Amino acid sequence: MDERLLIEAAQKDPSRFGELYEENVHRVYAFIIRRVRERQTAQDLTSEVFQQALANLPRFEWRGAPFAAWLYRIAANAVADHFQKTSREVAPPPGLDPAEETDIERRVMLFGMVDKLPAEQRRVIILRFAEGKNIREVAQQIGRSEGAVKQLQWRALQNLRAQMHG
Amino acid sequence: MAERELIEQLDTAIDALLTGRRPPDVPEIADLVAIAADLRDLPSPAFKADLQWTLVPRKQPTVQLHFLVRGVRGFIQFLHDAFGGTQEFLVDDRQGRVLHARVRIGDSVVEMGDASEQSPPYAFGVHLYVPDVDAVYARALAAGATSLHPVVDQPYGDREGSVQDPYGNHWYIATHLAPEQPVRPGLGTVTLFLHPRGTGRMIEFLESAFGARPAEAIEKAPDGTIAYAAVRLGDSTIEMGEAHGQWQPMQAGIHLYVDDADAIYRQAMAAGAVSIVEPYDAPYGERSAIVIDPFGNHWYIGTPL
Repeated sequence: MDERLLIEAAQKDPSRFGELYEENVHRVYAFIIRRVRERQTAQDLTSEVFQQALANLPRFEWRGAPFAAWLYRIAANAVADHFQKTSREVAPPPGLDPAEETDIERRVMLFGMVDKLPAEQRRVIILRFAEGKNIREVAQQIGRSEGAVKQLQWRALQNLRAQMHG
Repeated sequence: MAERELIEQLDTAIDALLTGRRPPDVPEIADLVAIAADLRDLPSPAFKADLQWTLVPRKQPTVQLHFLVRGVRGFIQFLHDAFGGTQEFLVDDRQGRVLHARVRIGDSVVEMGDASEQSPPYAFGVHLYVPDVDAVYARALAAGATSLHPVVDQPYGDREGSVQDPYGNHWYIATHLAPEQPVRPGLGTVTLFLHPRGTGRMIEFLESAFGARPAEAIEKAPDGTIAYAAVRLGDSTIEMGEAHGQWQPMQAGIHLYVDDADAIYRQAMAAGAVSIVEPYDAPYGERSAIVIDPFGNHWYIGTPL
């Protein structure tokens, strides 16, 4: 569905916001985690961004720019506030340059492909990368040997490579 | 380099990436390592789903379970300790009697109120899907439930154990054994499970009173009774199986959200229900009526005003 129609639908009926969320959650999260480099903080700030977006959606006016650009602006402010509160000396760049946008779009495509991996490969990738577990922890959780987990990890990455370059 | 060696090299490189070190330079796997570097920014699916749940207002489901117990506050504590339930809403009459409360369990919300002399308590069976049935079964026992059946793998692809809570309700706790899909397709975390005597007649009643339609093929037991059936009511599912052995009929409470409470009330009466409260405008903003079906279940029929 056309993004403009999705926005208008969500403005009329907030239960339609789910579609805009799904379309953009990977972008916002990738934008934030590149700046804060810490999973829990990235999750908290991502929540904050979407809560603000939902609250301000009725005032959003379509001017032709992608919805993601609006979300990136909210995200940049949330990150800046976070660095101010934690008074770190070096704040990351607030904006988004074209090179970074390309990087983020590549990740969005990759994360979409993870969802389509065979179940066991997907589980290994999620436990290893999204939850930061080591091979032994993953093996215990899914009830396979460490060797089998490394095999699944290898095959998952090969699958992802084939799709990225396919 | 042999594949086995490359698999090890890749794992070493991923360990380095995940702990903030520079991965070793191995040209054969450089493109895989680059993908792994991007995957460091992968958000957890649990986080994404939780945030979506918090953010997006849901349409009212057609069926919400309604418990009537003595001591709602204790029941809420039990739901929290056993199943991780969280209270979303509670209103009392200022003398401490809880008129209405809602508790979220996983993707479902259940309702409850304190029983009184006019409204005695009832108890019923609930099918509860969780990611780890063994852990939840143990937690339920620790929270005061008693075991009805230990956790075992069932032939229909679920691992399941059953408990009775201190208020008399039965919880059939299950994990669907398909990887990555702990809940059976079409069901939520919480689904009503009835054990009527005369399941065929129960289905007929639900069809004529509320417009239910069959959701799954009916499974017959060797004696010809219905061992398992599921019906859809609006966007919700109700499961049932003929009463047998320790699984005897109980009385459920069901809050049924409909477009026209008056019309559904009339339909239920025509199908054989008994009226407890005729449709009226309730002070909590709902056109509301209560009927009891021929099997003793309470139906709270409501349309938001």
